[in-house]
Amino acid sequence: MELELSLSPPNQTRHPIKKSLHGDPCRFPLVSWNHDEDDQQPNTFFSGDYQQDLDDGVEGVIGWPPLHSWRKRMMEENQHERVEVVNREEDHEEGEININVMNRNYNELFVKVKMDGVGIARKIDLNAFHSYQTLTTALIYMFDKYVEIEEDGAGYKLMYQHRDGHWHLGGDLPWEMFIRSVKRIQMVRN
Amino acid sequence: MPTMDPNRKKSKPVDLVDSVDSRVELTESTRSCPFPDEVLERVLSLIDSHKDRSSVSLVCKDWYNAERWSRRHVFIGNCYSVSPEIVAARFPRIRSVTLKGKPRFSDFNLVPEDWGADVHPWLSVFSSAYPFLEELRLKRMAVSDESLEFLATSFHGFKALSLLSCDGFSTDGLKAIASHCKNLTELDIQENGIDDLGGHWLSCFPESQTSLEVLNFASLNSEVSFDALEKLVSRCKSLRVLKLNRNISLDQLQKLLLHCPQLMELGTGTFMQELISGPVTEFKNMFSNCRKLVTVSGLWDATPLYLPVIYPVCASLTFLNLSYATLQSSELANLLFHCRSLRRLWLLDTVGDKGLEAVGSCCPLLEELRVFPADPFDQEIFLGVTESGFVSVSRGCPKLRHVLYFCRQMTNAAVATIARNCPDFTHFRLCIMNPGQPDYLTKEPMDEAFGAIVKTCTKLQRLAVSGLLTDRTFEYIGQHAKNMETLSVAFAGNSDLGMECVLKGCPKLRKLEIRDCPFGNAALLSGLTKYESMRSLWMSACNVTMNACRMLAKEKPRLNVEVMRDEEGSDDSQAHKVYVYRSVAGPRRDAPPFVLTL
Repeated sequence: MELELSLSPPNQTRHPIKKSLHGDPCRFPLVSWNHDEDDQQPNTFFSGDYQQDLDDGVEGVIGWPPLHSWRKRMMEENQHERVEVVNREEDHEEGEININVMNRNYNELFVKVKMDGVGIARKIDLNAFHSYQTLTTALIYMFDKYVEIEEDGAGYKLMYQHRDGHWHLGGDLPWEMFIRSVKRIQMVRN
Repeated sequence: MPTMDPNRKKSKPVDLVDSVDSRVELTESTRSCPFPDEVLERVLSLIDSHKDRSSVSLVCKDWYNAERWSRRHVFIGNCYSVSPEIVAARFPRIRSVTLKGKPRFSDFNLVPEDWGADVHPWLSVFSSAYPFLEELRLKRMAVSDESLEFLATSFHGFKALSLLSCDGFSTDGLKAIASHCKNLTELDIQENGIDDLGGHWLSCFPESQTSLEVLNFASLNSEVSFDALEKLVSRCKSLRVLKLNRNISLDQLQKLLLHCPQLMELGTGTFMQELISGPVTEFKNMFSNCRKLVTVSGLWDATPLYLPVIYPVCASLTFLNLSYATLQSSELANLLFHCRSLRRLWLLDTVGDKGLEAVGSCCPLLEELRVFPADPFDQEIFLGVTESGFVSVSRGCPKLRHVLYFCRQMTNAAVATIARNCPDFTHFRLCIMNPGQPDYLTKEPMDEAFGAIVKTCTKLQRLAVSGLLTDRTFEYIGQHAKNMETLSVAFAGNSDLGMECVLKGCPKLRKLEIRDCPFGNAALLSGLTKYESMRSLWMSACNVTMNACRMLAKEKPRLNVEVMRDEEGSDDSQAHKVYVYRSVAGPRRDAPPFVLTL
């Protein structure tokens, strides 16, 4: 099933389809954008300000949202850092304070998830799950609208990229260890 | 007793002034104004607002001249609207210049590098016309290290430099400023495209430098010598604004604060520190001597354990900038509980709607709120703030005037409620981050939302719209936004009618910036008589052709009509980026090859 998203509402032809060099109609620019460090391909559209690359899942509209480029850079730098503070217990007049900070947004463990055949990546909070099974089920359900998936998700397996950069098959680590080490997830077709 | 200024009529600092001097001689003999020039000048020297001064200069020739001679500060909103020679000829005694360059969309990378707005030609003229220049404030200008060095060595009494959103220079340029400007009171470096080659520039301040009042290097990444910084801070007894960068640790901050209890505005460094012993006790008294502090920013990496350190100063804070701190709702609530005097608050959307509820309940005096997105490019995170947070704030903060709000969902009903709660809006910028997104409940366009704003908020000066919008929105704006001066539009409208309504209906419109809208030639040309009363028009990725631009340029010779060529050069008849502005300086001579002036 091809993914076709439009920037404009369904019944409007605000942005005309422009013929590509090969005569095939080009797709409308995509609405969603998942900003990656991956390469961006030159545009082929009527408007010079769009970029799109379906396969890599890298889409972007230049200059949108309208955040100062300096602030954007700063946010991106923030996201790449992880602050690790060891478990610590403090004795205070008010009581004990227990800190366990694993990353900057220490209440959330958000990771990017991609599924083979789907152009858009998603992000999920691993805190919402307690096992590989619940995670896989949720992912299947989430991506169900975009690709044909068997009910038990038999056609896919969960691969994850460890903090050290290497890709592993999901399930090799105990769950608690997994959520602290995972950087991103990919659902790969068998 | 007004003092005679014997030099006034005799000195001719620049040859270009000659013609003007003779005019002065003429009017003296046919004087209708009963005041001697000196009295008039003395009175007019008390007028600061540049709008008032413009009005004054239009009264009569005497007043025009008196205004010219008494003016100390000039504000140039578009560096290409006038030439430095013209400015120097008209205003002989300037001490302070504010200069803005590139169109605002250059902040979002919509303007290619090397577009222009080079400050150097201005500095060249100023070095002979205004050798006593003291202040220079630049926004979106191209500034090179050579220019900074030239500035530092040409103006011996130079005091204040502010660079906001500029690019083209490195920390080497800052070295020149620090080394040569003996009377420097202000060095304010913000959000620039700067080449950070290290923090050695700060060590270039000589030991004789004791006059600094403002030092802002928060946006520079590299580490400065703490020793040099500490010594600098301790000998500058008039320091009232100090904004540090992230490399300055908490215990370093503590040491610095001991030297400057008179500080009014503080930007902290990193607000978290790994310690073996109890952190809070150590820093508990860090702020106890800072009785004049009204602004706090920075607070990078602040966590719940460390935020309480600033509680002692919160009660007197009027501006709190938390837009670098990824706070959660409860942390923010605990903090704001102590901040009852806040007038301005900047946040990241990690605080969520719950955090905004706390804003509404704790900050009744709030006038300005900005909520920035922590994760602007990840569409599927169910985080950030929604319409509900905005409504909560509006309920608790009826004095809100200035809002910038990034969100992923909004409804017409919510905005209507917000407008009713806060009728005094002067700046309303709502950014629904998904382009063309409708009211998420009713699925209708967001026309009624902005309609409510322009109908209810009669003092509105600045508006930025977003979401799914039809021409209706612009009809509302044209009908009701009678005080609006700046309008930003993106991914909106159906037809030329939208833009035409705005151009016809908004008498005070000065800046119109449009991207990715279906406005075409008819819309562009409908503003033929309007553009000369505006500062500028920006249109990119719309339906405008080169022919229409040529027509505009031909009909209105006092406008500069510039078209930026697309790199791929796909379709020569389409005008991809159009920038139109009024100018008395004629077409610019420094346009790069990709800018075509018609």
